[in-house]
Amino acid sequence: MTEPATTPSAELGSDPLERLMPSEPTATPVGGALIEVEDVVKHFDIRGGLLGISKLGAVRAVDGVSFKVRRGETLGLVGESGCGKTTLGKVILRLIPATSGQVVVDGKPIFGLSEREMVAVRRDMQIVFQDPYSSLNPRMTVGEIVGEGPYVHGLKSKREREDLVRELLAKVGLNQSHIHRYPHEFSGGQRQRIGIARALALNPEFVVCDEPVSALDVSIQSQVLNLLDDLQQELGLTYLFIAHNLAVVEHISDRVGVMYLGKLVELAPVDGLYNQPAHPYTVALLSAVPETDPRRRKKRLVLRGDVPSPANPPSGCRFHTRCWLRERLGNPERCQTEEPLLREIRPGQEVACHFSEDVTPETIDTATRRLPPVSAEAPVA
Amino acid sequence: MATCSPTSCTASSTPASSTEGSPTERIDPATGTRVAAPVAPEVDEIDLIPVRTYWQLVRQRFLRHRLAVVALFLMLVLVALAVIIPTLTGEGYAKTSLSQTMRPPFTNLAQPLGTNQIGQDMFLRLMKAMQTSLFIGFMAVVIIVAIGVPLGAIAGFFGGKIDNLIMRLVDIVLSLPIFFLIVMIVAFFGKGDAVVVVIAIGLTGWTLACRLVRAEFLRLREADFVQAARALGAGRTRIASRHMLPAALAPVVVASTLGIADSVVTEAALSFLGFGISPPQASLGNMLKNFEEDLLVRPQLLIYPSVTIVLIVLAASFLGDGLRDALDPRQRVEK
Amino acid sequence: MTHSIDLGRGSDGPLLELRNLKTHFFTQDGVVKAVDGVTFSVDDGKTLGVVGESGCGKSVTAMSILRLVGRPGRIVEGEIRVHGRDLVPLSENEIRDVRGNTISMIFQEPMTSLNPVYTCGDQIAETVALHLNLGRKAAMDRAIEMLRLVGIPDPKRRAREYPHQLSGGMRQRVMIAMALSTNPVLLIADEPTTALDVTIQAQILELMKEMRQTNGTAIMLITHDLGVVAEMADDVVVMYAGKVVEMSSVTKIFETPHHPYTKGLLASIPRLGDRRTRLAVIEGTVPNPLNLPTGCLFKRRCPYAMPICDTAPPLQQVAPDHVSRCWLTPEGAAPEVGAAAPPDVAEPAAAALSVGP
Repeated sequence: MTEPATTPSAELGSDPLERLMPSEPTATPVGGALIEVEDVVKHFDIRGGLLGISKLGAVRAVDGVSFKVRRGETLGLVGESGCGKTTLGKVILRLIPATSGQVVVDGKPIFGLSEREMVAVRRDMQIVFQDPYSSLNPRMTVGEIVGEGPYVHGLKSKREREDLVRELLAKVGLNQSHIHRYPHEFSGGQRQRIGIARALALNPEFVVCDEPVSALDVSIQSQVLNLLDDLQQELGLTYLFIAHNLAVVEHISDRVGVMYLGKLVELAPVDGLYNQPAHPYTVALLSAVPETDPRRRKKRLVLRGDVPSPANPPSGCRFHTRCWLRERLGNPERCQTEEPLLREIRPGQEVACHFSEDVTPETIDTATRRLPPVSAEAPVA
Repeated sequence: MATCSPTSCTASSTPASSTEGSPTERIDPATGTRVAAPVAPEVDEIDLIPVRTYWQLVRQRFLRHRLAVVALFLMLVLVALAVIIPTLTGEGYAKTSLSQTMRPPFTNLAQPLGTNQIGQDMFLRLMKAMQTSLFIGFMAVVIIVAIGVPLGAIAGFFGGKIDNLIMRLVDIVLSLPIFFLIVMIVAFFGKGDAVVVVIAIGLTGWTLACRLVRAEFLRLREADFVQAARALGAGRTRIASRHMLPAALAPVVVASTLGIADSVVTEAALSFLGFGISPPQASLGNMLKNFEEDLLVRPQLLIYPSVTIVLIVLAASFLGDGLRDALDPRQRVEK
Repeated sequence: MTHSIDLGRGSDGPLLELRNLKTHFFTQDGVVKAVDGVTFSVDDGKTLGVVGESGCGKSVTAMSILRLVGRPGRIVEGEIRVHGRDLVPLSENEIRDVRGNTISMIFQEPMTSLNPVYTCGDQIAETVALHLNLGRKAAMDRAIEMLRLVGIPDPKRRAREYPHQLSGGMRQRVMIAMALSTNPVLLIADEPTTALDVTIQAQILELMKEMRQTNGTAIMLITHDLGVVAEMADDVVVMYAGKVVEMSSVTKIFETPHHPYTKGLLASIPRLGDRRTRLAVIEGTVPNPLNLPTGCLFKRRCPYAMPICDTAPPLQQVAPDHVSRCWLTPEGAAPEVGAAAPPDVAEPAAAALSVGP
């Protein structure tokens, strides 16, 4: 009697994750665009008035952003508070309804789908949150938290779910016997691992990592970053890595996008962005990061003034009120009147600036050396 | 929350030691090369702590409040008395006896609290009164919760126009003078009926529970773990019932215990004014009905119901306090 | 300068000297030794960086200096000397005289450190009036002057505004203005830029540098960000689980770290321009303060751990002006008494090698 050639489970791999939560084969080849973000806009209305229904204005959190995320890559998204990166991440996942635009996942536009249709799509895109203390339901056990996804998607057998959860806990480096514990019994780093296990439970293709290490201790950050890296290799994941720590983003990303006040101002491969930044804001960001070497205390390019309010962004180029390059070029009108669009300045590197060609090591050097006074005063626009 | 501040150095969690593994390699100081580390028996700290469910923690925190524990005990005693004694003695509380009028208290085992001016046993009467009042108190809270919680949940969960609508309804109910409303309802539907009183108090008192639940739902809508559930594909019903409702119930539980006290006092006031329970039915309020006369002639008859009301309210209040701290603790670290 | 407590400005000895400071918290679950025998000093006009992660006790150390630690915590032992004068036995009134006057402090969250119901100008003026004994008008004038000095545009108008009307960076500037308004000799900054965006952080760091230059204020800078330390500090103290594990000048700490924790920390942080594929990692987590290991507190996570680490390691002098709490020799080899010396041999050896508590 000949042995059966392969059992179905062996075909899909003996990985219980694959067996219990088989993922549909993706249509996108490696390197192709898995996620396409098309002119996404998200405005939060500010309401007031007598009954609280009249619209006073809007916070333009995300104001027309377009890019692609290629399968298998890690796209970093950096920017400071108020730039809209977190909002964008949640809008892509449809956790927040967008005001307009479209997101195409694996060839399928998702903004028009009903909630029921979205459920199937959600299996392919998941999220890891920033705060390990609020991202886990304190009233559920680890097993219930990690197993919720599979349960919702049809894995009703308790035994099988537990098997799956154990697998996942092992994958993220947690002790499998902790399946019946509650989140409050774990440290921040461990909770973050639980959050990652939860995100992986549905065997997704795409994971949005929303500042996953910002709330963790420095010595734990590297543990979690390595874990994310390993998981990406092992499971072929695609990441959108949102963070404000430029060094972390440089470390983990293949390509990086820089956001400012709801707009994408630069998008480039990681080496290009960090070595040859094309946008004045990127230059300022890189200059602001403290150098971890006491011998090389750099002079830095300090931006003046505060970030304008997203409810009332400056006209034309949003950065023009604080732009060192504009000042150096004698305050050209164009920055104030015409909004720059993303254009390719070098192969693979896109930037939204009218005068990006003037961002050269010389001009950067001169601007840095000039060192504006420590005033908080923004140049009058 | 990750930083250590002086008053939270104790850390609400007891972080486990490395389950991510202690180093598998070590560096031999003598040679400076990497060698395999001897595997020391790894005592995982987290295993030293018994598994404690969230509710066990709550119970533990509650038991630390001695006053609340005493209050709970007192409440249980009062409820037990109120349930058992009238059931055993039936109509005994209403039995008059012209030969046994105004017997003093503590002199007689048969009538431990003495009798009133028409010979009724005060102890039995008090127990019956407590039963009626507590019944009204508890049942009114049941109605308050039954109306307020779902409305609050819907308002908080959906937000927007629905929320607006429900909140305007709350505003309307609140803008009416509650007490007069209760009086009107009772007067309209018939005096003396406990059920009517319950419904009246319930219909006017649900607003607090509604607001509490709404506030929790609104807050939880933005909570990360709720968004995580949505990202996993959980439907609205599951999110509301499994993730948001258990958290929202905590303040409701606290408000309910205090609501019992509140309802008992309201009932007492109603009955005292003649709009609630009328004799020969006994309630704590109507035992105080003739207070002008009683105060001068037979004050001890006023003491029994008054003290009982105070006991009930105190017990409920301390119980509520204890529950609040147990369910939503701030660190009480004093030794 | 009216400082009623004469802290002998300019007398010999360091500006601030902590000797064997111990601040313990007496909780229901046990005693948490948040600060357990910390000794270091700050010199006039210098900047000391205190580095460590959550639970290491750096914030509690700072709060202890100004006696801001509330129940159930209290200072159980040790000395806090400012120009030789010990602050620990001072009465409540006396220490209040020191706070905001001789020694000022700024915190991480300016929103919660500033009183939301008073204008910014009022808050600074209050400090000034209290400590410098100025009248209302004079105090407000000084407040406005301070706001101008910290680079807030239109300071007269801003002084009349409330904290919530200002951005995070502005609020932190107001805090700095308030702290420096009484010309303190020492400024304690507890994570002053952690809550700020990186470009605003750059502004604040530049501001602090300028202020330090103009006024000659010494700074005790508490942070977990090694980049900030590299940029601002002259000397560095590394803390772990309530103890000082390494202390030296900033260049030595970064170039030749001795303690495995410091080394691990420096190796594990991603740096700009450093595109490695895998970050070095410190395994494990910070020990539970209620369940500390015996001997070296870092031993469970240390790649160099030896049996002798079960005995508390000495605070060794590994180079001039560089101490480290570790059994490894300055060259990084096993100690002379051997890697597996039992406690009865190890303890006296530790006592012999130690240069401090």
